[in-house]
Amino acid sequence: MEKQLIVSVGREYGSGGHEIAEKLSKYYKIQLFDHNLLDAIAAKKNLNMDHLKGLDEKHKNPLSSRTVRGFSSSPEENLLYLQFDYLRDKADSGESFVIVGRCSETILKQYNSLVSIFVLGDRDKKVERIMRLYQMTESQAVRKIREKDMKRRRYHNSFCDRKWGDSRNYDISINSSKLGIDTTVELLTDYIDRRRNRQED
Amino acid sequence: MLAQVFAVIIFIAMFVFIVTEIVERHVVSLICALLTIVLVFGVGMHSMAAVIETINLKSIFVREFWYLSGETSGSSAGINWETILFIFGMMVMVEGMARAGFFRWLCMRIAKLVNYQVIPLFITFMVLATVLAMFIDSITVILFLAAVTIELSQLLKFNPVPMILSEIFCANLGGAATMCGDPPNIIIGTSLGYSFMDFVTNTGVIAGVCLAAVLVYFYLIFRKELRAGASKSVDYSSLPSPESTITDKKGFSVSCAIFAVAIVLLVTHAQTGLTVSTIGCIVAIATLVTSWKYAILLLKKVDYKTLLFFIGLFVVIGGLEQTGILEVMAAFIGKISGGNVMVMIAIIIWLSAIASAFVDNIPFATTMIPIIKSLSAAYGVDLTILAWTLAMGTDIGGSSTPIGASANVVGIATASREGYVIKWGLYCRKMMPATVMVVLISMLMIYFRYL
Repeated sequence: MEKQLIVSVGREYGSGGHEIAEKLSKYYKIQLFDHNLLDAIAAKKNLNMDHLKGLDEKHKNPLSSRTVRGFSSSPEENLLYLQFDYLRDKADSGESFVIVGRCSETILKQYNSLVSIFVLGDRDKKVERIMRLYQMTESQAVRKIREKDMKRRRYHNSFCDRKWGDSRNYDISINSSKLGIDTTVELLTDYIDRRRNRQED
Repeated sequence: MLAQVFAVIIFIAMFVFIVTEIVERHVVSLICALLTIVLVFGVGMHSMAAVIETINLKSIFVREFWYLSGETSGSSAGINWETILFIFGMMVMVEGMARAGFFRWLCMRIAKLVNYQVIPLFITFMVLATVLAMFIDSITVILFLAAVTIELSQLLKFNPVPMILSEIFCANLGGAATMCGDPPNIIIGTSLGYSFMDFVTNTGVIAGVCLAAVLVYFYLIFRKELRAGASKSVDYSSLPSPESTITDKKGFSVSCAIFAVAIVLLVTHAQTGLTVSTIGCIVAIATLVTSWKYAILLLKKVDYKTLLFFIGLFVVIGGLEQTGILEVMAAFIGKISGGNVMVMIAIIIWLSAIASAFVDNIPFATTMIPIIKSLSAAYGVDLTILAWTLAMGTDIGGSSTPIGASANVVGIATASREGYVIKWGLYCRKMMPATVMVVLISMLMIYFRYL
């Protein structure tokens, strides 16, 4: 049986982290979980969860939620726990996968097969990428990046002890702007393979 | 004046921190209690007597704390140790019952009695939630009912959300029916000297009428949804038999007996003279002695954070009381109502209901008790009428939003963990009309019965 590999990819908006995650999933021929995670949970539980898509990767609002003896009324937090349970089940079953964001570097930390990566980028390169991908003006791209990163930071930091993007929280943090997407992927696969070989030894 | 300013600032800060959940609520209330002692009683009032009166430890060492030979007027000053001891005792008893498998057995027994038919299950679980919540905290009631509801829904193929929402509402309603059903009622009862039967014959009657109305309401709005998914061909053998859910047969019998004794003691406490603090101690000791092997485990499971929250809260409210702020607020309500008791009742019940929908109803009710006492004294209104009004408003109002009551939070979280994430919109659409209806019925019943 193939040795288990779980790759967690945290990313700054515009850094190409998602594309890198896709390429890693293709390279290792393992499943990628991102926005489709909710669909996978819905399929497993035989439920329609389309109405919850707006809550994915959103922080909880303390004013509209309450916690009682560890139980929370926050739909965002409850959705997160559903995702955590699903990912832990997958990891426990020995399955390999790539997971984008969703505090995965923290909740899957106990698994030896986890490789946690954070992809960042230079501001100008990120703006350029967002302008190109979404046909935006520079100011629109700058605003979009600021908003998205703020949301991701608030989401991550409201559920995890370590801060979003803090290099101590990840096995490797890499600036994708320096080498470009493809070379970054090559470097990461090299790192992952060495890690796996080391584990086998 | 300085003491009043400090008291108000601490009180508001406590509410803000409780709502925002930046730190846990028991930490907030204890810090605010400490600030009240230092700033309000120390710096503002220079009064050691106020500190001693608010800490209220002396109350434990008088006979009336344990046994009443006659009528009592109750006391709302400072820490209400009677409430703390009673809740502690009930928590120990409930943990003992849960350990033996009592709640799961009861739910499965009732499900079997109605042959696992969805609509009868829906109705009986609502009634069960109401009856259980009359004696046991609504968190425990919903914790077990919601879990069993989800388990049954997976086999019977129906959507559990309508049933869980109805159970939440009924648990909150059941809590309003008795003195021990909901913390605000315990505080109102012990502070104003009312008995278990006083509540049953007043808020209990109102809750009974309201239950009939909500059974009809929830049936009408949920019947199609429940029937739609219900599977006709079900393999009942995959469900656990009620007997198999009992984890400790001897413990089960003992905990049932202790529960029965607790009910008898509560129903008769006005006649026997035993106070709720004595009853709390009796059931706690009986549970710990009969389950001595698990005594440490049961004691560890007690929700001490809630008890500490109560202690801090009583001190902060004591600060408001000692500085006369609550009398000012009472005078304000009296002025708005123009001394008209009907207007006063309307203000208290709707204000309590609306406030409880968004903030914890325990601090709200604790704050309101001295206010209704002042109103009663100033305008000659029967205090019992205002007490029942306050109890119904605070107990029922919490049902209308996901954050209004502890049972709501537990029910929502339990359903969500299984994939049935309940958002504000869905919750409020179904629960708010029911809340408005029940508050309205309660107000009209108070008008017709007491005025």
